[in-house]
This record gives sequence, structure tokens and C-alpha cells, in this order.
Amino acid sequence: MSTSPSAPGPESKGHIEQAGASDESIQRVHAILIREKEEPKEGFTPMPLFLLGFISAMIFLGAVYFVHYRGDFDPLVYDYRFDAAAAKAAASAPKELTPEQIIGKGRILYNTCASCHTPSGMGVAGAFPPLAASEWVTGSEERLIRLLIHGLAGPIVVKGLPYNGNMPAFGPGGGYNWNDAKIAQVLTFIRQEWGNTAPPITPEKVAEIRKAESARAKPWSEAELQPFEEP
Amino acid sequence: MASASQLASSLNPSASPELVKRAELSEIDASTKLPALFFFGSAILWLLAGTVFALLAAFKMHNPALLGDYEWLTFGRVRTAHLNAVIYGWSVNASFGVAFWLMARLSRAELRHSGMLLIAAAFWNIGVTLGIYGILTGDSTSIEWLEFPSYATPLLFFAYALVGAWTVITFRFGRSKHIYVSQWYILAALFWFPWLYSVAQIMLIFSPARGTVQSLVNWWFAHNVLGLWFTPIGLGAVYYFLPKVLGKPIHSYYLSVLGFWSLAIFYNWAGVHHLIGGPVPVWVQTAGITASFMMVIPVIVTAVNHHLTMVGNSSALKYSPTLRFTVFGAVAYTFTSLQGSSMSIRSWSELTHFTHYTIGHSHAGMYAFFTMVMFGSIYYILPRILLKEWPSAKLISLHFWACALGIIFMVLVLSFAGVKQGIDMNSLPIGADGKPGAPAPFLEIVKNTIPWLKLRSYSGILLTIGHLAFAVNFVWMLLKPRPAGATAPTLFRNGPELEVSR
Repeated sequence: MSTSPSAPGPESKGHIEQAGASDESIQRVHAILIREKEEPKEGFTPMPLFLLGFISAMIFLGAVYFVHYRGDFDPLVYDYRFDAAAAKAAASAPKELTPEQIIGKGRILYNTCASCHTPSGMGVAGAFPPLAASEWVTGSEERLIRLLIHGLAGPIVVKGLPYNGNMPAFGPGGGYNWNDAKIAQVLTFIRQEWGNTAPPITPEKVAEIRKAESARAKPWSEAELQPFEEP
Repeated sequence: MASASQLASSLNPSASPELVKRAELSEIDASTKLPALFFFGSAILWLLAGTVFALLAAFKMHNPALLGDYEWLTFGRVRTAHLNAVIYGWSVNASFGVAFWLMARLSRAELRHSGMLLIAAAFWNIGVTLGIYGILTGDSTSIEWLEFPSYATPLLFFAYALVGAWTVITFRFGRSKHIYVSQWYILAALFWFPWLYSVAQIMLIFSPARGTVQSLVNWWFAHNVLGLWFTPIGLGAVYYFLPKVLGKPIHSYYLSVLGFWSLAIFYNWAGVHHLIGGPVPVWVQTAGITASFMMVIPVIVTAVNHHLTMVGNSSALKYSPTLRFTVFGAVAYTFTSLQGSSMSIRSWSELTHFTHYTIGHSHAGMYAFFTMVMFGSIYYILPRILLKEWPSAKLISLHFWACALGIIFMVLVLSFAGVKQGIDMNSLPIGADGKPGAPAPFLEIVKNTIPWLKLRSYSGILLTIGHLAFAVNFVWMLLKPRPAGATAPTLFRNGPELEVSR
């Protein structure tokens, strides 16, 4: 054991609790305890002043941070950038529908039309004209909107074939009284279904025409609609 | 057992009270001998096992084919086995030994019926073995820090209850009128850990909470194991060994009180910073960030207290292994904690979270702080309970330098790798035209980390060398015969030449 690297020597005096040499005697063994320093005690130096200032600053900054990013303590707010006022305004604002949603709503509204014009948009020969590839549907929106708002009575020629039925009014005075949005949706649907590729119709345009024709009380005839053939 | 302290004072009434106290300490140390040896011995075995798992996991990061054909050695299992072996095997075993040894000494009470602690140690180690076996065979619960399958946990709970109860009983029957700061920390930790562990077990395994509450409980638990179990045990050890080795009082009682209570108040909230940016109510995240920042208070206060105790005694670091390991750990504690607070800043977390930076940070905490303090403690405790000296100072030196350099190297490498990784993932590279281009492909970013991961593996080899030196020294110390006459207590002989003046 005397080969131990820290055998007694001049430098080993410096070892505090780790001598390494163990070949000696009783004293050396109990030296482990004897040489121990006394059990630790606490001093009572007062806290340095800068620490007090530092801790106060930390508490202040922590409080400011916490209040600033508290997210209104709302359990549904996950992001500190959440702005309650803006979210409320967005929720109450009219919803902007996507083109797909407009077509979807139009498809549902078309159920009303399908009883005459048929679900495939092919119509019934002699009575109800087709909508698929019809120049009346894909052509002038002025004419189409007017037709829907006030209806049409008497004979009409579509795709070169004659029809004679009654188109009811979907605007004021008729049994349906659809608003601008509904009219725009169903018209957009028929203009883009069955291979039709005409541009959509906006509720604003419907409102504009409804206003222009507010004096009218009876259905249109084919001849009366002729002036609106050109868009 | 006839009290040696009474014997001492009866044989020589003029014996100094200091010597009587020493005799008492020697009895207390002797009463902790077997359980402490059991805990430290198994801790060292688990340290070696954990190191093997760590090396495997580290090498698999840059060489995935390595042993990839064995199902139970796949990365997911080996990495988990590493975590649990070093946490529940090494760290908890070591902290148990340190906790009741310190508690017995500071309370001035012999450990009664220490056989119960041997049973606890057996149960704990059987539990950990079963748990690791479960993880390797694929029974992991997949909840981080609680991967042990449910057939292992009752054993752990039983063992913990025994150790905790015995340490608290030792405190209760202590003769010391004064409660020293280390005792606050250990006592608090003994109550905090069962609270954490049982709540986490119930809310995550036995009757799992639903939705994001699960991840909240998970990180509350995982972070608090560090902050409310390992940190108080580590700080308790630093608060004991620093003044003990230096032979001077801790700088300020007031700072100790402030450090203890601010840790107790703030740490509990901090774990949520693992969920920044996640689907958790923002006020909870903000509370976690604020608490992480308030942790600067206990850290700075404790650092000032330790530093002012240490100041003017740095030369002692040259002589005492205990002091050197402990001071390294205390400095690492300050560094790691401040780093941890900074990592909770939202913008910095955005960059570093989910990168190797976090891995570097956790090793700085569990290794550079806690493990180094435990090494220092074991270097101090073992000669006292075995009444033998450590056989080789060279091996201790090798242990220190390999581990200290290894862990510094590892933390640096992982931090660089992590920041680089974070920048690559969060930003668009600037093209030749000076405009931001397409994001770098993810696989490209992964490949860029490989050189760093290789360096990390090399640092792991350094740590392994240190651990082997430690283990060899430990076994050598156990096997080496006690010097003649060791059993005869001749405590009255005070050899002044052995008293170290420095």
C-alpha cells in the first residue's frame, strides 16, 4: 500500500480529507475523522444591498411580463398574439364564402328549380327549357337576373327549340322572395354546373338590378328581355 | 452499543467537547455503513450500465446500422434505457445514500434498524432492473421520464416510502437543536418527490387525464423531478461539503433562507416552458416562462452564498477531491439554471427547442451539476463509513479530468449543433441572388448534425473513462484490507500534524 501515489510526503500535508496513504497506523485511520473540520455552521452576514435591488427588479419585470402576456386568462387562447377585440370583430363580421361554399349552397337551392328543369338541367321538351349549355344561362347576366327576379310568362326559344311554360318570380311579389345572396348563389351554381363555365354572379349585381327594376310588378316576356341580351 | 461519546467523556472528563462530537459522528457514520454501501454500490453499477446504453444510443445517432438487428437494442429502447438507468438507477440511488447519510449526521442521530434501508435498497434496485428489462423488451409506457412499465412502479414506490420514512424518522429523533440548511433541502425533497411521482402515476398511467392536460402533467412532473428532487439533494450536499471541507461557516443564513423558499415557490411552475407554442392556454405558458425567469433569484442568491463562502479558499481545490467535484457542480448549477431560464424566452425557445441544444442543457443539469456533486459526496462519505482511504489519488484525478472535460465538451458540442439545427430549420437560406430561397430539405439538416454527433460520442468516451476510473477505485477500496488496528477507537489521540491547516 505504500505504493499509493499520495504517500506521506511534504506535499501531502495539504490534503484536507483525502490522503490516500493507508499503510500507517491507528492514528492514520482515525485521522479520517479527527482531521475533519467541524460540522458546518451558518454565518449571519446580512444580504448584500444589490441583491435586494436585483430581486425587486426581477419581481417587477416578471409581473409586467406575466400581465402583458396573460391572454386574458382565457382557456381557449393558445397564442400570446391573440387580440380579443379583433377576434370579436371578425366573429360578428359577415362571413366571406369560398367559391366552393357558394356552389354548395347553390346546389341546395337548386332543389327548388329541379322539379321543372330536372336535376340534370336538361329540362322537359316543349314545357321547361334546359339549363345545361343554354345561352340564356351562360349569356348575359343582366337578362338572367331579371328573369329570375320577376319570372317569365309565354313562349320562349332556347337552343333553337320552342318552350311554353311559366317561370315563377323569385324576387319580391313571388312566392319565394329570395334575397340577393340566395339568387346569386343559385345562379352561380347553374352557370358553372353541367359543363357550363360562365363567370359567377355577385349579390351586389343582383341588388343593383333589383333596384333598377323595383317598379316592375309582372313577369317578363321573351320580347321584353331582348334588350338585355348583350351583357 | 455503548455510546463512544459517553465512553470518551467518562474516560477523560477533560476531553474537549469537539472530540466527543467526533466520537458521536463516528458512531453515526457506522450506523449508516451497510445501507449507504448498498446504495452507492448499486448506484455505481447503474452508472456503468447507463453509460453503456448512452454510448450505444450516441453511436446509433451517426451510425444507425450499429446493432440495429436486435429488436431490444434499437435506438428508441436504448435511449430510454439510458435515461431511466442514469435517473432511477444512478442518480436516485446515489441521492438516497447521500440524503440519509447527511440527515443522520446533521440531525446527530444514529440510523435505527438500518436493515429496513437494506430492504428498501433491494426493492428499489429490483424495481429499476425490472423497469429497464421492461423497456428493453418493449413494455415502455412511452411517457417521458415515466417509461417504466406499471409492474415495476409499485416496487419503487414501496422502496421510496421506506427510505423517505426512515430519513424523516432519523431527523425526528435527532439530538441537534439547530436545523441546518442542507436538512431543509433534503427534508423538503423527501416530501416533494412522492407528491410528484404519485400525482404523475395516477394522472398519466392509472387513470390518464385527457387531452393536453396529459402533456401538462407530464412536463410538470419531469421538470419537477429535476427541480424539486435532484436540485435540493444536490444543493443540500453542496451546502454541507463546501463549509465542511473548508472549515468555515456558510456565508449567510439569510441568503440560504431566501434561496430555499424562492426555489420552493417558483420551480413548481417552470415545467410548462416545455410546451411553449403548444396547444396549452397561453396564460399557463406565460406563467411557466415567468416562473422560469424568477428562478434566477434562487440561483443567483445561492451562487452568491456559495461564492462568498468559497472566496479566498480556492487553493483548497488543489487538495480536496470532494471540494473540486462539489465546486464544479455548484458552478455548473448556476450556469445550467441561467441557461434554462434563457431557454424559456419565446423567441429563443423557438430556435433551440426540439434540437440538440435541449439535450446539451439536460446533460449540463443532470451531469455537470448533479452527478459531479454526487461524485464529490461519495468521495467524502466512503472513507468515513469504510474507515479506509481511497486507494489511488491518480484514479480520482483521472476521474475528475475525464468527466469535467468530457461534460464541458459535450455541452458545447450539443449547443452548437442545436443552434445550427434550429437556424437551418427556422430560416430560408439566402440564394445567390440575395433573396431567401426554398427551405433546406429536412434530411439535409439532419445530415449536417452528424459531425457534431460524432464529437458528442467522443465526449461520451471521455466520460466512460472517468466512470471506469471511479468504479475501479471503488472496487479496489472495498477489497483492500483495512489497516491494522482500525477497530480500536483511539479518538483521544489528536495528531496535530494530521490536522490540515489550510
